[in-house]
Amino acid sequence: MSINNKSIWELAEGYLAGSIPQEEFARLKDRLSADAAFASEFYEATDLIRSMEDGGKHKRFRGMLRDIHQEQAVKQQTKKAKLIWFTPQLLRTSAVAASVALIISTITIWTLKPSIKQSESQYYTISRAVTDLKKAQAQQAAQQKQLKLDLDNTKKSSAPVSDVKYTGTGFALSNDGYFVTAYHVIYTKEDGYGDSVYIVNHDGQYYKASLINFNADADVAILKVEKPGFRFGKGELPYTFSANKAGLGAQIFTLGFPKDDIVYSEGYISAKNGFAGNALQYTLELPAGHGQSGSPVIDEKGNVLGLLTAVGSPGEENTYSVSSKAIIDLLETLPDDTSIRLPKSGKLAKMTREQQIDKMEDYTFSVKVYKK
Amino acid sequence: MHSPTNNEHHLLAALAAGERTVTGQIYQENYHIINGWLIKNGGSSTDAADLFQEAMVVLFGKAQDKDFRLTCSIGTYLFAISKHLWYKKLQKKGRDPVFLQDNIGNDDEEGGIAWEDDINVHQEREAHYEQLNSALDQVGEPCRSLLRAYYHHDKNMQEIAADFGYTNPDNAKNQKYKCLARLRKLFYNVKT
Repeated sequence: MSINNKSIWELAEGYLAGSIPQEEFARLKDRLSADAAFASEFYEATDLIRSMEDGGKHKRFRGMLRDIHQEQAVKQQTKKAKLIWFTPQLLRTSAVAASVALIISTITIWTLKPSIKQSESQYYTISRAVTDLKKAQAQQAAQQKQLKLDLDNTKKSSAPVSDVKYTGTGFALSNDGYFVTAYHVIYTKEDGYGDSVYIVNHDGQYYKASLINFNADADVAILKVEKPGFRFGKGELPYTFSANKAGLGAQIFTLGFPKDDIVYSEGYISAKNGFAGNALQYTLELPAGHGQSGSPVIDEKGNVLGLLTAVGSPGEENTYSVSSKAIIDLLETLPDDTSIRLPKSGKLAKMTREQQIDKMEDYTFSVKVYKK
Repeated sequence: MHSPTNNEHHLLAALAAGERTVTGQIYQENYHIINGWLIKNGGSSTDAADLFQEAMVVLFGKAQDKDFRLTCSIGTYLFAISKHLWYKKLQKKGRDPVFLQDNIGNDDEEGGIAWEDDINVHQEREAHYEQLNSALDQVGEPCRSLLRAYYHHDKNMQEIAADFGYTNPDNAKNQKYKCLARLRKLFYNVKT
């Protein structure tokens, strides 16, 4: 072998870079086909250089990914704090439950219902801890006051002295107190009906509500705030209800109460039918979690398309909503003298999203179910 | 069948070249989807970052081949790879074989196999780099630092000559070739 190490590496480098002059390249090819020992040494050299180059490229790429992640994490920190609502504990349970469920049957859907989440919000947003605690205390006081009022007013003996069992989200059907939520928020197989249902508006006021009608299969329940003369907001509902199903890809958003503060999330309709082809449902690409059952699903123009009911079992990242047709159908079963007239025109169509949310806030609230 | 748009071609080419803006854009558009999915599936945000970055590296590796064409959108690809990587991880932990099959069954079958292939190629390549790096660790100084500076940190011979105290870039280059020869012996166990 007449070639020394230096030139073989130089040759290999030039070969890979494609920088060897034509004449020399022809000589190299001749030699490679004639001299097997040289060829094997040469290809080992090119392999090694190529591996070093590619390895370096991958390493730099990984480094860049880490940097990008860091940058974006900083940028999104505030946003994230608002969006995370699962506790690690809940997650572990659902992961275990998921495997069990999948072994037993094929697919299960998780309802978004149950959540008592005092500890959650404290866990993730430490900076909010103090205010949260204060707020919780204030709410507790308001709640006790309300319960007392309730006792005084109605002289009922069965006033709820119990804790919140389930929370969900509800939204108004008429300004005078009718509202809708997911049926599984107020009734569960395990616990039956709660002792009482309260809504908590965004000012932290508690109002007692009673069930008017429901459709368990569709997972829709209509309730009414009991207080005479109650109004959700100043005027008529700002949104309308869509009687027809919206199309694939429609942009949607929702407001709900995975915790005590109202939370906004957005997404799109990813399939026209819902779970297992259910035509009264939509499949959505929309982040949702416990406590958001019953949240309105609204399109860009302010039409209510449905209400959130469930998320798919793990492995299936979908969120499901009952379409507003199920709500309208249920409304039609109510006695004629019921005062619900769904608005024919909405006020949200030309507003920015922030204005839409601002208008919606009076008509969207947390639903709390109490049980001893 | 997915027909990739010009835009996607462009994005992939830029990703393959390691362009930061485009990589950042792809990252931003897709990371939260995997993060959201994983949180629903028993993982943490740290897991999601690991998983997603691994999937990005898989795509980066695939995109190095100029003839590579995606059969789905970039987002779908990253999501599918992340999912498969997660199932693999769970399976490794012995946590849930049933879980794994159930979910892979939901995918388009051919796609599922293709993704498995891509992951396997990726993991073999990673193992190869790892061997190379452990050979590099044994190569001794100044070779280790010199090779790392050139290949990992993308420094040119001029910079290296200055950093390592060689009188000119050609001397540094000769030293690099000597170092490569040593590395080759370690890596391929070549006897002198």
